[in-house]
Amino acid sequence: MMMPVLASTEPGFLQKFIFGGYSASRPGAQSDALFMMILWFSIFFFVLLMGLMIFFVIKYRRRPGVPAIPSPNHNTLLEIFWTVVPSSSMLVFFVLGFQSCTEKMVVPDNAMELNITAVKWSWDVTYPNGAKSPESQPLSYHKDPVTGVVTKGRDFPIFYIPENTDVRLKMISVDVIHSFWIPDFRTKMDVIPNRYTGYGFRTPALTVDDIMPDGETIQRDMWIFCAEYCGDEHSRMAATLRVVPMDVFEQKMMEWNKPKSPVVHGQQLWKQMCAACHTVDGKASTGPTLSRATIDGVEFGYGYDAQLVGGTMVPRDDNYYRRAILDPHSEVIVGYNPVMSDFSGLLDEDAVFALIAFIKNLSDRGTAGDSSEESDNSEAAESAGGDS
Amino acid sequence: MSTHDAHGSGGYHEEGSYLSGPPGMISKIWQWASTVDHKKIGVMYLVSVLAMFFLGGMAAMAVRYELLDPVRTVITQMEVDGVMTEVISTTGDRLTPIAKLIGADSANQAYNRLFTLHGAVMVFMFIVPSIPASLGNFFLPIMLGAKDVAFPRLNLLSWYIYVVGSLFGVLSIIMGGVDTGWTFYTPYSTTTDADHIRVVFMVLAAFILGFSSILTGLNFIVTVHKLRAPGMGWFDMPLFIWGLYATSIIQVLATPVIGITLFLLIFERVMHIGIFDPSMGGDPVLYQHFFWFYSHPVVYVMILPGMGIISELLAVHSRKHIFGYRAIAFSSLGIAAVSFLVWGHHIFTAMGELAAILFSGLTFLVAIPTAIKMFNWIATLYKGSIAINTPMLYALIFLFTFSIGGLTGLPLATLSTDLHLHDSYYVVAHFHYVMMGGTVMAFMGGIHHWWPKMFGKMYNEWGGMLGGILVFIGFNLTFFTQFMLGTQGMPRRYANYVDEFQSLHVLSTYGSWILLIGFLVHLATFIHSLIAGEKAPANPWGGLSLEWETQSPPIEHNFHHEPVLTHGPYDFETVVPPHCDPKDYPLPENPSAH
Repeated sequence: MMMPVLASTEPGFLQKFIFGGYSASRPGAQSDALFMMILWFSIFFFVLLMGLMIFFVIKYRRRPGVPAIPSPNHNTLLEIFWTVVPSSSMLVFFVLGFQSCTEKMVVPDNAMELNITAVKWSWDVTYPNGAKSPESQPLSYHKDPVTGVVTKGRDFPIFYIPENTDVRLKMISVDVIHSFWIPDFRTKMDVIPNRYTGYGFRTPALTVDDIMPDGETIQRDMWIFCAEYCGDEHSRMAATLRVVPMDVFEQKMMEWNKPKSPVVHGQQLWKQMCAACHTVDGKASTGPTLSRATIDGVEFGYGYDAQLVGGTMVPRDDNYYRRAILDPHSEVIVGYNPVMSDFSGLLDEDAVFALIAFIKNLSDRGTAGDSSEESDNSEAAESAGGDS
Repeated sequence: MSTHDAHGSGGYHEEGSYLSGPPGMISKIWQWASTVDHKKIGVMYLVSVLAMFFLGGMAAMAVRYELLDPVRTVITQMEVDGVMTEVISTTGDRLTPIAKLIGADSANQAYNRLFTLHGAVMVFMFIVPSIPASLGNFFLPIMLGAKDVAFPRLNLLSWYIYVVGSLFGVLSIIMGGVDTGWTFYTPYSTTTDADHIRVVFMVLAAFILGFSSILTGLNFIVTVHKLRAPGMGWFDMPLFIWGLYATSIIQVLATPVIGITLFLLIFERVMHIGIFDPSMGGDPVLYQHFFWFYSHPVVYVMILPGMGIISELLAVHSRKHIFGYRAIAFSSLGIAAVSFLVWGHHIFTAMGELAAILFSGLTFLVAIPTAIKMFNWIATLYKGSIAINTPMLYALIFLFTFSIGGLTGLPLATLSTDLHLHDSYYVVAHFHYVMMGGTVMAFMGGIHHWWPKMFGKMYNEWGGMLGGILVFIGFNLTFFTQFMLGTQGMPRRYANYVDEFQSLHVLSTYGSWILLIGFLVHLATFIHSLIAGEKAPANPWGGLSLEWETQSPPIEHNFHHEPVLTHGPYDFETVVPPHCDPKDYPLPENPSAH
């Protein structure tokens, strides 16, 4: 029972400096304590070796005409000593590392299970009731009060989880290998195309430190990163994990599970899965923009013809978008690479329908005019900027 | 006590060195291109690997430049033709001009290609062949007292294979480069850039370079077994030779595996035979096992020759017998043996728990011979006569940076801490401390140590020391910051990052600039030496291994007469070095009994 004792020691300044904060879970804290133990062991030997080296270099520096002082070039006892000491320390680290690793992997049977599907380049998280998070927030949003100039980093989705709860992740990838890393829990696992992988953790209990500046909201944000290189937008495959009180979580679950209009649903899906490559502000990105735009004389948007590699022009209609989502490599737009993953395993008919409705709504040639869609549009626009 | 050279010590007559050739540019080039002289081949390798080091280094500079700041979107409200319009622009995509140059779609894509270029060039074209093929080729036969390696024509062939392999790599880069990462993980590598041949070219380059590596290894093994000078037993060999010998064994045994693996990868990509791609019934993790079964042992191909150089530098420049000769020699073989059993620690996060536990335990075994070497090196300095010059400076830098590299490996072998640190900047920092802080520092030390012997010219000591100090400062600033980035949660291979990592990234990039200046100072020092360097004596450092018996630069057949070994390479207490004045090399009055 060595590890709990180690972990219970109050993390020091150095530990906080190295990890940028305390771990959010008990096994994480244990592995930090183990890291610190190895670090102090390393510092001891490093200082010893470097101290001797510097001391010898100064004391025995070359003086003209003075020979080196004879000394034995072999000492069995000493050599056995410095073989046995590192070997036995290695054994200790191995055993402790193995123990604390099992703590990281084991989750109670009644843990809440999140299904995570990785796709280039986003995380699709499904909650036990089938809900998915529609929320996102841009990094470091700043609006200059005088000039009105907005500066912001990339937009990342937010996944909510309740405090003080055991969570198990069940993960699979639809394309290449990804890796789901939550630095605050000090654990990651590869997300592989042909089999389920996963791990678990217990979310921390929120404390007074987690009360937001508004004085009311209580929540704690952590980063999720993709840690296995997966292509162009690998560095955008991040998300925020937000720990909230149980009642907030349950409220979100209910809210997210409510039926919504196809346009709003489609917009949520776009944010979750398409936004890394397809903009809706008319700017070129890894993939073509979905909104109505003219970039260097080339038309984009629902209802405008697309020029394909090979020279054919196809009209962007409902069926075009259906093919583009479910079989993306069948028709490649000139100027873009066929890097999109096949979403056929990831989206059901409802979802494809909703996405097309959303895309249609972005163009002046979408069948606009009916008032219900107009209101959907404004609602969608509102929720898009709502979290900033 | 030197060799039984009929001319006696100090009295040898000068003869044309291996560098003197026929007049006329074309016949000179032909003489080099068709040479079977291991020294010329060594120099040709030296020039080629340093050119590749420069190419890989430039890619690294670009990668660090992109990481100066995170990407920002700036939205400005502007009145265009009387209508308020949002003007959207981005900052932080610093590689956009390079993206245009290499035909990439975005700064991210340019970044991905550049870090791949950096990794592939540095690993396959620089660091694997670096020490064995250049300094090893030049000095292994001379230190054994041989005229050449066992198979001189095979040696030349290996250089041509290296050039052909590198050309495929460079061709792939000229075609725009690849974005697979130097590890070519499937299924990404079999599906990315699907309609382009350049990925195949890069994989083919690594495949071809493997043969060059195998041929060099084979040549060295036979040379060490068959061509040692009369009187030279296995334990009379300099430790550099032991390092090269252990390296050669790994090269011959492990390289065929990567050859097969890369070939399967090309098969899958070109003919769509499902081996690794799950959509065709393959297993993507199988590739990682195959890949690391070679690529972990090859880490020791990179470091063992460096360790050998350090043993030479420390002994010669402190005039001390190396401490624990046999322990160092056997630990080289021990590392070579254990290296085949630890590949799984690269994929802890993609394998079952039981396998991970076994590989974690085995990985710790590597630490033991490495620790033994460290203790022996420090003990060698005890009571020495320690010169402070560029080779010694690099040996001391090596001890400093390599200890950090080795010790920071412990949390990576420990399972639970590795789950956090794996694929983070911590790993990037760790392997740069081992590969650059280890191999490159040893290589730099070795080049300075043997430069007078290879080219017959001394270099400017101040230039060497200044370069060394700049490299040391720049290196630590660049990579020590990355340990902290990793523990705090920065994943590797990210073109962009979240804000809290910026200050450490900025420091790291500044460090890379100092590092660059340090290497440029070295380059200037070497060029200055070749043009205006003082003529080098046969034995400037008072070394006792056989390369110091012959003139600088050596004659074409290395020695005037076959040397016969009469003393060990580290008997500084009892032997006045050849071609040296006994006044400058006083012997202790009571040599120890050992």
